[in-house]
This record gives sequence, structure tokens and C-alpha cells, in this order.
Amino acid sequence: MHFSALLFLLGAVLILQTTILEYIALYGVKPDLVMLLVIFNGFLLGPREGAFLGFAGGMLEDLFSGSYIGLNALSNMVAGYFAGACGERFYKENTLVVSGVAFVSTAVGLSVNYLLLLYLNIHVPLFHALLRVVVPTALYTALLVPFLFKRVISFLKTRDRDQLN
Amino acid sequence: MLAALVAATLAAMRVTAPELARLTPLESRFRDALAPVRISLTWLGSQARYAMSFSVSMVRAGERNLALEQEVARLESQVTQLTEFKLESERLSNLLNYKQVMAKRYNLLTASIVDRDPGNWFGTITLNRGAGDGVKENMTVLTPEGLVGRVVSVSAATCEVLLITDPRSGVGSLVQDTRTSGIVEGTTASSRMARMIHIPNNAPIEVGQAVVTSGLGSIFPKSIPVGVIAGINSESSGLFKSADILPYANLNQLEEVLIVTEVYS
Repeated sequence: MHFSALLFLLGAVLILQTTILEYIALYGVKPDLVMLLVIFNGFLLGPREGAFLGFAGGMLEDLFSGSYIGLNALSNMVAGYFAGACGERFYKENTLVVSGVAFVSTAVGLSVNYLLLLYLNIHVPLFHALLRVVVPTALYTALLVPFLFKRVISFLKTRDRDQLN
Repeated sequence: MLAALVAATLAAMRVTAPELARLTPLESRFRDALAPVRISLTWLGSQARYAMSFSVSMVRAGERNLALEQEVARLESQVTQLTEFKLESERLSNLLNYKQVMAKRYNLLTASIVDRDPGNWFGTITLNRGAGDGVKENMTVLTPEGLVGRVVSVSAATCEVLLITDPRSGVGSLVQDTRTSGIVEGTTASSRMARMIHIPNNAPIEVGQAVVTSGLGSIFPKSIPVGVIAGINSESSGLFKSADILPYANLNQLEEVLIVTEVYS
């Protein structure tokens, strides 16, 4: 997987995250596409790469928002690392497995996000954090896996083939 | 190495917390420079939404012949556009009426939303009005339906508004019928709810009662509708109770809002 391909995907995902996602929000909840891309990357390439792209992607997100620089960088880094650790243990071609890993990894990343909010003295009631953000966002993000995972793999394989030629 | 990176990031998070510092001239210029990009992205989003609805309408017209299908699609597209104009006109007309009704109490400035926080935790929106239009920090933002939030940072051409559902928001409020006071604080943006805390246990409150701003020691003017009580819970201390508040303003579908630039006493 090449850095330029990842950068292209990350840019596209960031634009989607800030534009269209508002219109597909379910009960106010939006999926986290940047985290999903980070999870795909970690799951396919391992924890080190997952953590690296997680930090880079999250940092881009933070720079775009302009405040709390590092908040998404750290939570996406953990999500990428976790997905990478799962990728070393599970079969990679099964969409159901990837969906499960995406659900748990997103939940882990968002839980780190919640802890970092506490560190920043932003108190979100635990009930709201878990049942209104962490679980629904993880579920919505995981539901996108069947539509996106094979496309991402095919995109990356095409890029690899083109670069080899 | 990793520990140093994490420590540096944690420090950066604190330094860039928006409450701790006003916008520096550089940040202000950066935000203004980014405003056209954000407006373009918002336009891109609305076009994509239009394109999606257009595709759906094409699929539904699948049984008709091609010429008729194209004609219908064209007309549907026109109707959609006209409906959009009609809705926009209605919204602006409502805002104008509200401005005229409220002219004795407030000086109001109409603003459009150009950007919204993409995540599920925070509830902030960016408006197309800034210091050049007389907008200042802590000004109240509302719609004819009710309170939206307050301005937290201003650049020359834009301003950022903290919604009342954001976990960093707190609004001095009271229950309209019983005059019971409390603080309405945000929970998470995605929940679309706020909650009123520190209500004494013996206070007579019920589901369905209206909550308005108290104006006491608050940056918000008095008597602005905030929301309606949707549920009542006991706080863990046992001394107080809290109430779930459903805001009157539909904060997830805002398009135009009003900024209170002056309050006439």
C-alpha cells in the first residue's frame, strides 16, 4: 500500500466527513469514515502501520478543525493499532470478521476519545457517551464495511499493480 | 519515543483548547482564508445530496420511456429547486417577522451556516458573519423557535457558535411555570439533547414544562425559550435531580440563525 494512495483516500474521506455525512446522520449519529480508513489500513498491514496512519489521519482532522490538536490523532492511533493487532489474528477476507473488528476498534478509539475529553475537563455523562456516541457510531461505522471494504482493497491493489507496471 | 510523542500531543491538546485563548491574528487570517473552502465544501455536500435524490428519482421512473423519463426528471429537478427556494423564502420570512417582532428588545443580525463540526461529540457551527459585521464573543444566537447557543470565537468574516447541546455549554435557565432555576448543560451533539442540572429535589417540575433562560448572571438575555422537559432523573448525590431537555430549535438542521448583537433594556 503506497503512501500517495493513502493520502488520496484520506483527503477524499476528510471531504466526505465534513460534507455529505451530515445528510446521512441517523438519529444525529454520523459514521467515522477517517477512523474506518485507519482501521482498514491497520487490519491489512499491521499495528505499526495502523497506528501511524491513525496518528497522521487524526492529526489532519484536528488541524482542519483548528482546536484540541491531537485529540483525534491519539484516538485514531489507538484504533489503528488495535485493528492491526486483530489483523494479525483473524482471517482477512471475511467481511463479517472485518465488520466485527471495525465495530470493536471504533468503540476502542471513541472510548480513548472520551478519556481524552475528561483529561481536557470536558465532562460528558457516561450514559450519553456510551449509548449516544460510542456504541451507535461504532455500529454505524461497522455497517459501512460490507459496502466499502472490497472497494478499498480493489483500489489499493489497482494502485499497486499500476505502480509495478 | 512513543511516550514523548504522546506527551507532546497531550500538551498540544491543552494549548489549543479554544476556551484558553482568543484567536490570534494568524489564526483569524487562517480561518478567513479557509472560509471560502468551507463554503465550497458545504456547497459540494448540498450538490451531492441533490445528486443522490436525483438518482433515486430516476430509478423510480424506470418503467417510463426514456424521453418521458428525462422530461419528468427535468421537471422534478425544477420542482425540487423551486421547493428549495420556497422553503428558503419561508424560513427567511419567518426570521424577518421575528426580527420585526423582537426589534424593541434586541438588535438581530441574520447569518447562514457555512460549516459544522464533523464529529459526534462536539456541537459547533460556523456562521458567515464575523467581526466585520459587528459580531463579538459571547453574543447569543437563536432562531424564532428558541436558543441555539453563543458565539465563542470570531474572525473578520466568520464566527464559531457553541450549540447548547455541546458538552462545554452551560446556560442559566429556569422552568417557566414554577420559576425553578438550574443550569442547562449540553451532553453530546449527536444526542440532540441537553440536561438541566442542580434542580432541588423538592422542586415541582414535570415532563412537558417549558424552560427559558434566566438571565441571572448569564451572558444570555432573559426569557429566551430553551426547550421542553422530556424526562426527570435523580442525580447521584441524592440532593438534586436533573431533567432531560429537548431544545426547541432543531439544532441538527439549522440553515439560518439570528445573532443578538444588542439587547435593549
